[in-house]
Amino acid sequence: MIWSEEMRGGAIVAMPKGKIDENTAQDFGTSLEGAVTRAADVSARLVVDCAGIEYMSSRGLRALTLAKRKADGAGVRILLAAPNEIVREILAISRYDKLFGVTETVEGALAA
Amino acid sequence: MLVRFWGTRGSLAVAQSAGAIRGKIARALVAAGGRSFADEAAAAAFVDQELDFATGATYGGATTCIEIEASAGDGSFMICDFGTGAREFGINAFGRMAGGHARVFNVFMSHLHWDHISGFPFFGPAFDPNSRIVIHAGHADVEQAFRRQQEEISFPVAFDWLRAKIEFRVLAPGETYRIGGLDVEVMEQHHSHKSYGYRFTDPNGKTAVFSTDSEHKIESMEGEADVAQFFRGADLVICDTMYSLADAVSMKEDWGHSSNIVAIDICHEAKAKRLALFHHEPVYSDDDIQRMHKESIRYEELTRRDDPLEVLCAYDGLEVKL
Repeated sequence: MIWSEEMRGGAIVAMPKGKIDENTAQDFGTSLEGAVTRAADVSARLVVDCAGIEYMSSRGLRALTLAKRKADGAGVRILLAAPNEIVREILAISRYDKLFGVTETVEGALAA
Repeated sequence: MLVRFWGTRGSLAVAQSAGAIRGKIARALVAAGGRSFADEAAAAAFVDQELDFATGATYGGATTCIEIEASAGDGSFMICDFGTGAREFGINAFGRMAGGHARVFNVFMSHLHWDHISGFPFFGPAFDPNSRIVIHAGHADVEQAFRRQQEEISFPVAFDWLRAKIEFRVLAPGETYRIGGLDVEVMEQHHSHKSYGYRFTDPNGKTAVFSTDSEHKIESMEGEADVAQFFRGADLVICDTMYSLADAVSMKEDWGHSSNIVAIDICHEAKAKRLALFHHEPVYSDDDIQRMHKESIRYEELTRRDDPLEVLCAYDGLEVKL
């Protein structure tokens, strides 16, 4: 899993790449929570650009939940943007599309 | 090894309503499209071959009770849990005992909540003076739970009126026991008042794991490696898959249950061969459970790494030969 992020449109846009499973979920979670802290510091939302995520297992999804708990406490909104078909399906099967806002594009998340 | 499911519902026994049966029949008639059938066998073949499971059958509503029939065992009955499915099992066992089956029952309790013990007062062999029932549990207070539910305030037949020879035996996690001719391992699980999983291995090396009412806490995901080790290479893992992951980590967190996709992930990590989705949510209709099963198969496909994991959906009456 490779993590990068940038400020764009008043938000922190995170761009993880690779598979998020039991081997990478811990790094993914640590990076997410760091991004939440940085977003809180500048009162920005956190957009996770999912386009580079090949697939995400339950470990990754639960790392998202831990980050969301931290984000909720810090007043930061997390949005998931541009998931590929596989990740979109996994979000639906897990019902995580009910827990997180999911948008077709990063631009959509920035405008939401 | 043959695994037979007598009860697969979680938390509360449920029954099909008149409206649900009416809906199934109506859907079947539409699917038949005006065809006629020569006899019931021809109609049954249509049901089996052309209707989906939720239309032509039901997942059932009895609470947890599993039988493990090991051809290489010592001939005793091997049972997991005394949910309401134990009533039907007891009736069936009488038939087999009349045919010469040993009147010995080794029962392994996941835990002592109502839905896992409430079949016992209706378990016929408990009234049979020639039967011997050994109830194994990880809980030191197992006998108290069984006696308490038969106190007069709850049930008209006192525990001491039962005629079978009933024994209680407390097992320790981490130990391997030889019971009924099988190797039995025990794992402590996260649930209110704790629960325990069991791993059964027969002399031929066939392995079934019974792991119900087990919550895999979001704060301790690293602990799932131990669970995967317990599930390692199993021919069948029977897993609590009561909720969606979203429910399990939000509204229903700390309710002591797991999700279909966490079970699949752990089975993948364990390189298990089959998973049986189990402990179905009592508010789910047959359509809901069937949808969950299809989604689980799809999730397994999406996240598969090595060999495929066969994802079964347990129903009352299912038999799985290993």
